[in-house]
Amino acid sequence: MATVTHMPLLSAIVFTILSAALLALVLVVVRSSNIFHSAVALTGALAIVAAVFAFLGADFVAASQLLIYVGGVMVIMLFVIILFQQSAGSNAPQTNEQWLTGFFAAGTVIGVLVCAFWGAYSKITTAHEPGPTTAALGRLLLGDLAVPFEVVSLVLLAALIGAAAFGTERPGDHR
Amino acid sequence: MTLAHYLCLGAVLFGLGIFGALTRRNVLGILMSVELMFNAANINLVAFNRFLYPDRPWGHAFSLFVMAIAAAEAVVGLSILLAIYRNAKGRPVRVGVLNG
Repeated sequence: MATVTHMPLLSAIVFTILSAALLALVLVVVRSSNIFHSAVALTGALAIVAAVFAFLGADFVAASQLLIYVGGVMVIMLFVIILFQQSAGSNAPQTNEQWLTGFFAAGTVIGVLVCAFWGAYSKITTAHEPGPTTAALGRLLLGDLAVPFEVVSLVLLAALIGAAAFGTERPGDHR
Repeated sequence: MTLAHYLCLGAVLFGLGIFGALTRRNVLGILMSVELMFNAANINLVAFNRFLYPDRPWGHAFSLFVMAIAAAEAVVGLSILLAIYRNAKGRPVRVGVLNG
């Protein structure tokens, strides 16, 4: 079966389109003056990251990305924005005066990482045919990684309790 | 496509996340930038797995762990944010109020 990974030109075109869309959406996320636009752009960016995962042959991770991020985290975030941002000064400036610091920090990180990655890994290609990963992933999660897997469930339980504790409105909160 | 293409995409995403976390004034914007950085790390994990160890999906498993931790972080962060907004009673909330 000929997959997209065996057609270099098509593969490059798909990668370029995905990267360009991802970077455009991420720029909207970090620079938009409207926090609601940022959140919608972030939803799109996370969906495109799921597409990158699928393009890399990580089918289960791509589906989890869509379910957890686009379906879960972003819906909560949009809820919070819609509920509370309207009354909380949505026309206030959304960025601070540190853009020069941020520009140099981000530029340094991007430059160093891109140079290092390009020098070390620009020759590595793969001829491996991507296949279903779910069965191997399940065996790994319940075999070698069983302890971290259970610890993550404890972390999620702690997050649940923490969210309930912070979300509960006790008498005396309003002073 | 080589491994470096995907790693550089992840690096640029990570750098833009740092830029957003440093320059955003709103706590929600900082949370969103942190999510971007998590996703950059996930892209790198999955790309390394695909190109270097295609038979053992350890990178996929770790990216699932990262997603679970990120979801927990987002839920707790947003509930703290709701508590702050509730206490602020409609005043604009900035990062400065977290200084105590």
